Amino acid sequence: MTDNTQKTQDALEALFQDARAAPPPVPHALMTRVLADAQQMQPRATPPARRGLWAVLADIGGLPALGGMITAGCVGFWLGVAPPQGMPDLATQVIGFESDTEDALGGVGLSGFGWDITEDLNDG
Amino acid sequence: MNMSAVPSVPQDDREADPEAALLARYAAGDGAAARALTVALTPRLYGHALRVLGEGAEAEDVTQEALLRLWRIAPDWRQGEAKVTTWLYRVVANLCTDRLRKRRETGLDGTAEEADPAPDAEARLQQAARHDALQGALARLPDRQRQAVVLRHIDGLANPEIAAILDTGIEAVESLIARGKRGLAQALDGQKAALGFEDDG
Repeated sequence: MTDNTQKTQDALEALFQDARAAPPPVPHALMTRVLADAQQMQPRATPPARRGLWAVLADIGGLPALGGMITAGCVGFWLGVAPPQGMPDLATQVIGFESDTEDALGGVGLSGFGWDITEDLNDG
Repeated sequence: MNMSAVPSVPQDDREADPEAALLARYAAGDGAAARALTVALTPRLYGHALRVLGEGAEAEDVTQEALLRLWRIAPDWRQGEAKVTTWLYRVVANLCTDRLRKRRETGLDGTAEEADPAPDAEARLQQAARHDALQGALARLPDRQRQAVVLRHIDGLANPEIAAILDTGIEAVESLIARGKRGLAQALDGQKAALGFEDDG
């Protein structure tokens, strides 16, 4: 009896092994339906948001930085237009020479658009 | 029972849960993850449902419904709280229980009798006969015993995981499995020779 019980247990274990080794084939239609559900329910991938001007500005310090940049720009512009006394002529230093165009023209003043030359010739 | 809630299954030493990583990718919109999860999970769930229900169309419905719930919960899935497969087996187990209960209520519970392998055993290949014999014996077990035996001996899960799936204690699982195997042995006793095992004597 005990021997028979053991044989039955062995047979049962063999059946379990067979079942594990050969799972039932999945119907193709089921796989198709499940995949269709998955794709239909899947959240859409969100593309990286375009970085606006404010995002770029925030990277370099935000509004305080923008204010500093504007102030520095204005001061620089003003120093170029009306340099204070004692300040070297920056344009001369940058270009490296002073223009002698006026001397070459015999002292005729060269000003905006050459109108003064035209006036001199008419007078003469 | 709330089948949508993530069960509180303690994960020993944070065992690997590759499906959880795939599910995170799925929730992020990765199409390849959707295919990988479908291929990895569908056969396991369908196989389990088929063993428990004994009927292909119902097993298909249960499998599709369980995975539909997974797709729905994916964006809110909290990694580390439960294994994806444990959660899914639990959903499948509950769906199977509901269907088995409904069968009894409507008097359509004829699966066990229909699955009786004896008339066809000689006409089929031995492998098919063994499959039918096991399925027939499983169908004769009470629902919970059948679920526990299939989870343990065919799906290969450990008792703590089965306890989480069946929402019971480990000792209860051990008892379900032991009683289930005794029932299977009784059902198969006398068929060993026909199934290609040694003589019954």
